[in-house]
Amino acid sequence: MTWGDVGAGALRAALPLALWGIVSAAYAARERDVRLLGSARWSALAAFALVLLAAVSMAAALLGHDMSIRYVAENNARATPAYFSAISLWAALEGSILLWTTILAGAVTYVAWRSTRSLPRLATTALAILFAMLSFFLALVVTPAADPFVRIDPAPLDGRGPNPLLQDHWLMGLHPPLVYLGYVLFSIPFAYAVASLILGESGDRWIVATRRSALVAWALLGVGIVAGAWWSYAVLGWGGYWAWDPVENAAIMPWLAATAYLHSVMVEEKRRMLRSWNLALVIGAFSLTILGTFLTRSGVVNSVHSFTQSAIGPLLLGYLAAVLAFSFGLLLWRLPRLAETGQIGAPLSREAIFLFQNVLFVAATAAVLLGTLYPLAVEAISGDQLSIGSPYFDRVEVPIALALLFLMGIGPQLPWHGASRATLERQFAGPVATAGAGAAVALLLGLRGAAPVLVWALAAFVVATVVQEMWRGVRARRMLHGESPATAFASLFRRSGRRYGGYVVHVGIAVIAVAIAMSQALSVRAEATLAPGSSMEVAGRTVTFLGLRDVAEARRQQVVADLRLSDGGELSTALSFYPNATSAIGSPGIRSTAGDDLYAILAAYDARGHAWATIQVRVIPLVSWLWIGGLIVGIGALIAALPAAKASERRRAVVLGTPRGAPVPAAEAK
Amino acid sequence: MTSRAALVVGIALVAVALAIAAAPRSETQGERVARLAAELRCPVCQGLSVEDSPSDTARAMRALVEQRVAEGRSDDAIRAEFRQAYGDWIFLSPPLLDPRGLVWLLPAAAILAGLALVATRLGRAPPAPAPTADQLALLRERARLEDAIE
Repeated sequence: MTWGDVGAGALRAALPLALWGIVSAAYAARERDVRLLGSARWSALAAFALVLLAAVSMAAALLGHDMSIRYVAENNARATPAYFSAISLWAALEGSILLWTTILAGAVTYVAWRSTRSLPRLATTALAILFAMLSFFLALVVTPAADPFVRIDPAPLDGRGPNPLLQDHWLMGLHPPLVYLGYVLFSIPFAYAVASLILGESGDRWIVATRRSALVAWALLGVGIVAGAWWSYAVLGWGGYWAWDPVENAAIMPWLAATAYLHSVMVEEKRRMLRSWNLALVIGAFSLTILGTFLTRSGVVNSVHSFTQSAIGPLLLGYLAAVLAFSFGLLLWRLPRLAETGQIGAPLSREAIFLFQNVLFVAATAAVLLGTLYPLAVEAISGDQLSIGSPYFDRVEVPIALALLFLMGIGPQLPWHGASRATLERQFAGPVATAGAGAAVALLLGLRGAAPVLVWALAAFVVATVVQEMWRGVRARRMLHGESPATAFASLFRRSGRRYGGYVVHVGIAVIAVAIAMSQALSVRAEATLAPGSSMEVAGRTVTFLGLRDVAEARRQQVVADLRLSDGGELSTALSFYPNATSAIGSPGIRSTAGDDLYAILAAYDARGHAWATIQVRVIPLVSWLWIGGLIVGIGALIAALPAAKASERRRAVVLGTPRGAPVPAAEAK
Repeated sequence: MTSRAALVVGIALVAVALAIAAAPRSETQGERVARLAAELRCPVCQGLSVEDSPSDTARAMRALVEQRVAEGRSDDAIRAEFRQAYGDWIFLSPPLLDPRGLVWLLPAAAILAGLALVATRLGRAPPAPAPTADQLALLRERARLEDAIE
């Protein structure tokens, strides 16, 4: 028995378990049957174990170069290094769907074992819905179009190897799993939302129950997108990181919709408003994850990610249509029960800012969707071919992003209901003065054009509001509890992680905004054809071309250009020739510093005598802060997702028999 | 510095900086080439512009733009040359004054509609009587403490 048999068998055994899970969880919820619930939970665990076994089998088959499996033969070669063999699990469609299914099975198991202990109807109904989704994907992976374990007979001696772009950089091991984790974890809030509709609940229990999974999904998708931008920057050789490519759009759309959702749920929790809106947002964000997969895997739109095209397009489209019809149908049916009780306050109240923010985020999402699908629609209607790329998206999205940065600064500073003039002055004096300083810095850095200067001003504004909030929080804790500044600062995060973690995320976004503005506005490019030993000047730096060398590896041939920088540092950039690629793949040479990146590519060279090479050099300011900003966002989200300290302290207090409330200093304040 | 003075100075600084940054200035030839090349699609890439793409085709097209700019041709003449060779497809954003320009209008319309919808629902809650400065400071401190402890 080979790994292929194990994997194929495991997937086929998991499908009936998932189907049984739908039935048993649904009945358990309805009849309050504990035995059926137990059965559903074990089905989840067994299905997860089987799917995981299938994924491990595929990884083992890839590592063992088992060319009798078609997926391995098409995406692996004997010369592929172990790391790139293992991560070829997601190098093409079938493997990606397998990874997706594995994560989904994990999510089902998490909900089954974590949330259904006392048979709550909401969680148990959500579990049935998650089982239904898992069943769809398990049915998909055993159809011939998406089955990763299909045999090839006779087995070729060697495989084609992974797509060259996918065996060039370690980030390929990070970016796709993060994005998939983000995509798939949105299934949990979606399943709870649908369960809440089915049960006719009118409260926000589904939001509270899925707060953490929504946040984690959002953060993983966000960090995954930044990792993808970094990969694009480090591999594709164009000195950029975001091209509004359809797959990039497919990833950013659910993230934008989910960002709107994470904020608008706060309005529902505090003000009992926006119930149907939040349900619609979570359904929308989840549907966009499927739409993205469909768009990019069906070959409907061209993309750098269309590594394979497949017949599963119609199946995914059918699934998307079913999800949309079912969930929006439910929403319409339950609309009468979702009446609003709260009211919006003044235009300068926190809830009003959240609403404006939601309008802008939804518009930003819709514009990306429109720009992605518009060429298809125009071609279908008139036959005209049309391109929509970065000039369109930049012009539409940049103003929205600027407005959002502004709201990000003012929203957290405003009280619910509304603010008086005195409050406004007190809250905004420092931040607005800092914004002025930010604008001045932008001018001194040589930025011209309103947008990048505004980005500096708004980023300074946002960071100042956060610093002011933290400063005041620390001061309050020191006054009340006599804590040292460091302890007070730490306890802000420990006790109100959701709030202060959110501020950290805002700082990360401000850092990203500045990095984008600087790297877009002030990047300098130069190109020269050089003989060995001669130099070119770019942005005050000298780059000397030392010469070319040929490097032969088992999996590829490389031509490497060695460069010396004016500070004595050395850098090399290469063109790689893979047996399965028609054109050469460039590997940029990148020297990163905190201030800027020097980014060099070998554009052309003398193949006969190595007598010359055309070198393109870009100096890109602050671009590494984009990745750092992504990391800050991830850390902030982690802080916000961690359980607050108070719950565990109270539990301890109860266990130890301390009178409740005694150690909680809130009593003093009240 | 009082709060109000800080606000005024900050807003004034931002306004002046924006006015300086947005002031019209003459474009260098290199900037013109970059701007025009960014409008053009690299025909052999997936959605990258001629300015961004390192491919041979894009570099050749960029060289042509550079040559035309050096010859003193107008923006429209250069665009027309590419339109004739490739059709509208070669431009990365659709024409504005054209039925296909709807794609520009829709996002703006969506934002305006959304903002109008929110605006009609604003301020329905009766405004609370304005508290005095002292009450306000007390309330704010309390809210902050509650939040910090929460």
